[in-house]
Amino acid sequence: MFRWAWKSLLTQKTGVFGSAAGVASAFILVIFFDAVFRGESTQIITYIEHTRPNIWVMQRGVSNMHMASSFLWDWKADKIATLPGVKQVTPILYLNSVVNIGDQKALSYVVGLEPGSARAGPWEMEAGRSLPKPGEAIIPAVMATLADIGIGDTVSITDKSFKVVGLSKDTYSMANSITFVTFKDLEDILSSTGTYSYLLVDTDEGVDANELSTRIMNDVEKINAMPHEEFIKSDYRMSMQMGLEIIFLMTVICSALATLIVGFTAYSQVMNKRRELAIAKALGMRNMSIVNSVIFQSVAITSLGFLMAVIFALTIIPRISTLVPQVSLLVSPSAFIQIGLVALVVAIVGSLIPAYYVSRLDPTSAFHV
Amino acid sequence: MFRLAWRQLLIDPLRTCLTAFALRAVIATILVLEGFEQGQYFQLARAVFDRDADLIVTQAGVSNFLATRSSIPQLSRADVESVEGVVNAHPITVLPVIYEKLGRKTPLFLFVYDTRGGAVNIIEGQNISDGRDIIVDVSLAKRYDIQIGDKFIVSDFEFKVAGITEDAAALFTGFAFINYDGMIDLFLESEIAPDLSTFPLLSFMLVELEPTADRVKVASEIEARAPDVDVYTPQQLAENDVNLGRTLFGPVMNLLVNVAYIIGLLVVGLIMFANVRSRLRSFAVLKALGFSNTNLAFAVLLQALLLLIISLPLGVLLAQGIAMIIHLYTPLYLIYMFEPDVFIHTLSASIIFAIIGSWIPLRSIRKADPMLAFQGT
Repeated sequence: MFRWAWKSLLTQKTGVFGSAAGVASAFILVIFFDAVFRGESTQIITYIEHTRPNIWVMQRGVSNMHMASSFLWDWKADKIATLPGVKQVTPILYLNSVVNIGDQKALSYVVGLEPGSARAGPWEMEAGRSLPKPGEAIIPAVMATLADIGIGDTVSITDKSFKVVGLSKDTYSMANSITFVTFKDLEDILSSTGTYSYLLVDTDEGVDANELSTRIMNDVEKINAMPHEEFIKSDYRMSMQMGLEIIFLMTVICSALATLIVGFTAYSQVMNKRRELAIAKALGMRNMSIVNSVIFQSVAITSLGFLMAVIFALTIIPRISTLVPQVSLLVSPSAFIQIGLVALVVAIVGSLIPAYYVSRLDPTSAFHV
Repeated sequence: MFRLAWRQLLIDPLRTCLTAFALRAVIATILVLEGFEQGQYFQLARAVFDRDADLIVTQAGVSNFLATRSSIPQLSRADVESVEGVVNAHPITVLPVIYEKLGRKTPLFLFVYDTRGGAVNIIEGQNISDGRDIIVDVSLAKRYDIQIGDKFIVSDFEFKVAGITEDAAALFTGFAFINYDGMIDLFLESEIAPDLSTFPLLSFMLVELEPTADRVKVASEIEARAPDVDVYTPQQLAENDVNLGRTLFGPVMNLLVNVAYIIGLLVVGLIMFANVRSRLRSFAVLKALGFSNTNLAFAVLLQALLLLIISLPLGVLLAQGIAMIIHLYTPLYLIYMFEPDVFIHTLSASIIFAIIGSWIPLRSIRKADPMLAFQGT
């Protein structure tokens, strides 16, 4: 019976391919949603990832950078710098704000850098300088392309204008691009003095970051110190959590759509072959065998759809960012596993109506003229 | 021809139902995706309009309400209130904070208000009566199973949940509301800021005007008297936030909606192809009776349009049902479909799908040999 089911699928290649493409599109939509949130979450932590100090120090009660504010007195940085095991402390000032660029606006992490502080600055440049002077800014190259501006043009943060002197690479994200200005300029915007936002602490070789973090928190009051890996995980988890519910909902909606497509195709197959099925029944084939063949057809169509979705995701999605540079996409193997499991359920549920129809098919209909 | 198309649909009601279900699901998916994007913009605009101001004063150079830092000097309030036509300048401060409970973290916008600008749709509990009171959006309440009277800890400072509000969220972020007593206590007790001047104590002013006051004139008068501020109407500020939202969500939502359109096209094409293939013999009979290929293609197109007419209202209902379920379980997301643009896009796309979809089986119709009609079954 499986052979019949397989051959029957092969006789309607176009229809099967069309349904598989429909199923694939529904799965692609889910993979896409997942890739958007995963890509954006990865891009959100790109600053933390690339600066990569051993320890991050911030205000007590704060354990994130994304959508967070942190301020700590400057003397705390001096005190940390004297602790044994600390090689270097690099302070930054940080603001989550809107940057006006040409006639567009973008949400941005604005990072204030101390003079000569390349340690906390951009890690790769497309053009221009990597360290700003007063009144200057380094903006993401993608942001400049989208707004059609370049080096020498002006951007503004609140009412302060900055001349663009550098275009950085890998610093753009929809939710938070990274703009670098001088520490003093950002202090002016924030109306702050004598405070830092985060401290990037590099340790001496062989020093355990966990132990040093604990020691920093014991020795310096009212601060939070986190080893790099813990800090990066904390930000990534939070930004992914923001999208988890909507990804789940989209999975449900698209799975329902895929189920209907599979159901429709399986039903069409059964209707087209009802006479053959009736003959098979009249020849003594058991209901269970025929129902299994219907399920097999559904599984085959869904598997083909799933395979097409995976191929699309692996080949096309990574190239989309080239065409639409403002969208960061990251395809994850875990998304494939989830969709694979959903596909199995879709195949079985999609075959229920045709299977029910087949089980009630009258064998005598084979002899009707 | 119309009758022929109609009867074709009635031959196999189960298949027609399945077909209509599939079409309905496609229409609903497109509407939900379009509505999801519109919902983000609607929430952004609502965040401004719900503050109930005639004019909104921002820091000079700041032209957005959410996701930006605005800090106005305290003394500017007296300048604003001294302008003729201004009844009151209600202060409001917006702080992004991270709420953490049981290892889960969620960013939220903390709105600090005094006499105007607080929660507008309290669905449970009551308004703030104490510095320790907080009102949270239902999205946060659902996510963390928060009840009235529960503790709500922000940066080690303990608030008590006095009320739960709805429709207070934007940019995938829920809102919470406290008063200025609460903010000062939060800053001091939790040492959220070692240097209070660093934090914006006053982000915006919600200007209440006399009923007869000229908004444009008052706005320019305020800007002349207080050079540290800019003045916007709520419509302007909402529009700026929506435009920012379009920059954020537009590219990715366009991609998703386009994928949904491709699904729609494939599904309609598949349905019409399967329909024609299963009725090839009927088409052969019609050809033998003298129907031309054009007539038959027109019948298929009519059939596709009929299916669409049946499915469209049901698709809208299904989308509305999905939107209600999404909002019920995850109120952070709003699916807002009541935008003429959304309906026009979806309707025109569906008609195009029907036309293209009914072209797909044309080859099969052309190849249907009238001799088939006379072959045995």
